[in-house]
Formats: sequence, C-alpha cells, structure tokens
Amino acid sequence: MTAWSLLLPLVILVAGVPLTLAFRKKRKLQSALALGLMLAALGFTLGLLRTILKTGQPVTVQMGLWQAPFGITLTADPLSVFMVLMSQTVLSAGLLYSLGSTEKVVHYPTYFPLFLALAAGLTGAFLTGDLFNLFVFAEIIVISGAVLTAIADDTYGVEAAFKYFYISTLAATFFLLGIGSLYVAHGTLNLADLASRIASDPSAPLTTAGMAFLTATFLIKSAAFPFHFWQPDFHAAAPTPVSAMLSSLVVKVGVYAFFRLTTLLFPETQLLKTLLVIIGVAGVLYGGFGAAGTHNVKRMLAYSTLAQIGFILVGIGWGTPLSLAAALVFTFNHALIKAAMLMLAGAVASRAAVKSASFEAVVGVGKYHPWAGVLFLLGGMALAGIPPLNGFTGKLMIFWSGVEAGQYIPLLIIGVASIVTLTYVIRSFVRIWFEPNPRVKEKAGDRLLAPALLVLLSLLLGIWAEPLVSLAQVTAAWLGDPALYIAAILR
Amino acid sequence: MNLLTSLAIGILFAAGIYQILRRNLIRAAIGLVLISNAVNLFLFSAGAYTGIEAAYSTATRQVSDPLPQALVLTAIVISMGGFAFVLSLLYVISTRYKTSDSDEVKGLKN
Repeated sequence: MTAWSLLLPLVILVAGVPLTLAFRKKRKLQSALALGLMLAALGFTLGLLRTILKTGQPVTVQMGLWQAPFGITLTADPLSVFMVLMSQTVLSAGLLYSLGSTEKVVHYPTYFPLFLALAAGLTGAFLTGDLFNLFVFAEIIVISGAVLTAIADDTYGVEAAFKYFYISTLAATFFLLGIGSLYVAHGTLNLADLASRIASDPSAPLTTAGMAFLTATFLIKSAAFPFHFWQPDFHAAAPTPVSAMLSSLVVKVGVYAFFRLTTLLFPETQLLKTLLVIIGVAGVLYGGFGAAGTHNVKRMLAYSTLAQIGFILVGIGWGTPLSLAAALVFTFNHALIKAAMLMLAGAVASRAAVKSASFEAVVGVGKYHPWAGVLFLLGGMALAGIPPLNGFTGKLMIFWSGVEAGQYIPLLIIGVASIVTLTYVIRSFVRIWFEPNPRVKEKAGDRLLAPALLVLLSLLLGIWAEPLVSLAQVTAAWLGDPALYIAAILR
Repeated sequence: MNLLTSLAIGILFAAGIYQILRRNLIRAAIGLVLISNAVNLFLFSAGAYTGIEAAYSTATRQVSDPLPQALVLTAIVISMGGFAFVLSLLYVISTRYKTSDSDEVKGLKN
C-alpha cells in the first residue's frame, strides 16, 4: 500500500502521455483529461507528504523487487517530496493557463501529451534514487521542453530550441562521463550505496573527476552564471505556459542535484560548496544587471531567474541547516512567483497590438486591465522580497543564515544586488500600466485565472509562512545527516 | 588492448570537440554524435576488462560486468532520438536561413 502511495504520482503522469495522445482528436476532452490527471497526481503527492511526515521515514520502492544496490530505487524522502510538491503545484497552474491561452500552440494535438511528459520527467527526476535513472528523466525533461519550444508561435522558437537542445545534449554526455567515472571508482550507481562507498573511500581514483563532471552538468542544467548563455533566449522564445514551467521548474533539477551532491554524495568536499557560493554571487550580480538592461519582459524575467538561482546556490554553498532551509524556502517561493510573473507577462503580450513581449509592444497595454496590474505588482514585490509576500520569507532566511555563518562579503554583494530587482520590476510595471500608448485598444487575451491563483498562494504563504518554513526545516534537518538516507534505503 | 581502446576513445572525443568548435551547424551536429559515441565507448570500457566471459555464460571464469552494457544501450537509444531531433531542427533552420553557418543564423540577436 505504501509503495503505491509513492508510485501513483509518477505512474499517473507517465500513463497520461499515451492516454492524452489517444484523445488527440477531441481537444476539450484531452485538455480536461490532462488537467484532471495532473491534479490527481498532486493530490497523491500531498498524501505521500502526509505519510512521510507522520512516520518520519521515507517511502522506498525497489523496482522489480531487486534489493537496493542492485535494482533501481525510487525514494520519496523529504527533499524529493518537497520538490515534487513544488513542481506539481506549478505544473497544475501551467495546465490551467494552457486551457485559457490564445496561442496557436495549445491547439497542437501533441501539446498536452508533451506537457505531461515534462511533468512526468520532473516528478521522476526528483523521486529517483539512482544516478543513471536521473540521467534518463533529465533527458525526458530536455526533449519534451525542447519540442514544446520548437512548436512555439514565436518564429525564433526553433532556433532557441536548437540552442537549448544542443547544449543540453552536450551536458548529458558529461553527465554520462561523470556516471562512468563514479561507476569505475565505486562500482555502484545507487545514490545511497554510492554515498556510503564514497564516505568509506573518498580518495578512490576518478572520484574527483566524477564530481567535476557532475558539477559541470548541473551548472548547465540550472543555468548558473557562466553556463547561462542559452537560458534567456530559450525562456523568452517558449510559449508562455511552457516558459513559465521552464524558468521556474526545469532549472530546479540542477538545484535539486546540488542539494544531493553537497549533502549526500560529497558532504566533506569544501571546494564544491565554495564554488557554489562564488558562482551564486556572480549569478546574482550578473542576472540582476542583465535583467535591468533588457528590452523584453519575458527576457527580463529569464535574467531574473539567473539571479534567483544564484541566491539558492549561495544558500546551498553555505551548507548550514538554516541556510539549507532558506534555500529550500527560496526554491519553492521562486517557483510560484516566477511562474506567475511569466504568465502575467505572456497575458499582457497576448493583449498587445503586435503579439510580442518586448517593451515597445507592451507599453501602455495595461490601461484596460487594472487587475492584471495589481497581480503584476504583487508578484514583482514578491520577487524583490517585500513583506507581506512570500519572497520576503526566503530572502530574510538567506540573509539571516549568512549573518549566522559569518559570511559578510557575499552577503553584502547579494544584498546590494537584490535592490536591483526592485528597480527593474517597478520600471516594467510603470511602463506597462502607466505610460500612455495611443495604439493600445481593448483586446481579449489569455485568461488570468492561473497567475491569479499563484499570486494568491504567494500572498498566503507570505502571511502564513509557518507550514512551508517548518517543512523546509524538517527537510534541512533530514539533509544534515546522510546516514539516515543511506540507512533508509540499504536497510 | 587497454591502451589502444583508451587512445581510440580519446581521439574520437578530440575529433568531436574539434567539430563542435566549427562554425558549420551540420559539422557541429556530427561532432555531437562523435562525442556521444566516445562517451558510450568510455562507459562500455568501464565494465569491459574486469572479466573475459559474457555474463550469461555458465563457465566458471570471471564474468564481465553487464551493467555498463545496459547503460550504453539506454544511452544509445536516447542519443539516437536526440540526434534525429537535432537534424530535424537543423532542416527547419537551414531552409529558413538558406545557410548552415552559425554566424548567419542570428534571429535571436535582435
């Protein structure tokens, strides 16, 4: 019974892909089915969260009943469930937005199957306890994300998809090199088994090489500072609901992997943590100023993701229980806010005279849509970290943990850089809602229900932050002791 | 044999990197295939030389590790699908821009 509570969120989504493909001729039924399956998966994930919080033990399934180091393990430990909950919440909102979208791409017969494949890939990548399985799920995410962008209404979608897919496939070959190196060194790919073997023999040949390959791979996947070059193009060219998922969730696969690398596989390697802090600080600076200098709302938000990923990496790099909890809260909040903001940007762009998210096209569009403006302002405040929104909680925890860890120089830099967030958010708000534009006419566009729900959730989590923060603290405490994870799987 | 295999993998990888750095997008795609094959061979060799018998054999000699072979099979299937997708994207790009020079494909640089 407990095994099914883990498998259901994943199996429903995987089964949803062929099922929605079978209904490709009946678009209404197909879209309703996709949303229904997504919500069902979300419901089962909530049930799974309740189970593991009640028992305090992760739920583990050995595929094909092969015992742990030999078979493939699926594990729902607090970190996995936290990430799955985050991604399924945002994915449900993404599907809801797709239902009310005016873009041509959502009428494509393969749109909903691909969207569910993206959801299945994300869920599987977070739930798996096997390094090679993580590679497979990461490839599913990359392929479905790239195809969804290639069929975008934007003519440059194909170009952006090529760029992303090419870079990601290269990253995947380095992932394989890392997997091979660790397999040569330790003869296993099960994360728990690998962790215990690395701990007992940290100087085995190729261990460091394997770590370096994995780090490079996940830096590309999370689009951290020097590896971000594909990210703004790709996220700006994707269809709105897809770009909201890409910018808020797909980059988090790399972040999740860094949680695992620094707390489970290589907890003793200080170099990796220092590297993450340096890259994170550079990303916060570069992303902030990059966002301030763009001429396109979606592109601005994509650069802002670069900065926000920087904050999370800094939190992971400090590695104290408080900073890990802060990074988790920040991860969750950023997913909600960034998805909502990108959806609002897309909704505004769909109402512009020429359908584009560049500032030239969207100036003054907000005149007839004051409620979208309220949502955009609330989302922007959350992004900049102003109370009473949820962005404030994450930022406060990051700064607090930095003071506690005595890391004043990185703290000063990210503190200054986070003020830039406020500048670009306010500037884009003023340009869209307050500058006059004679060409603007009242026009129907994408429905605002999904971003409204996400902003409402952000507001709720800002006022009543306790459940999220305590969940993050439980998770951080769990991450603090890798022996617990190893014991739960290799019992 | 070990030295020969590692040299061959190294040369294949170097050739792939060289092709990736060219400006021609089709050559870059071929470089991607070379690199993924080099990596597959690397994975394969990770398990090849511990034993001399196939795993399914009933002989009592030391058997070779079947796991890397399974990994390589999966990786080959994934890279085949990926390469087909890269080529189809290249087809669209080259018909739109009438060139395969990466410097000429600059629609995103507006």
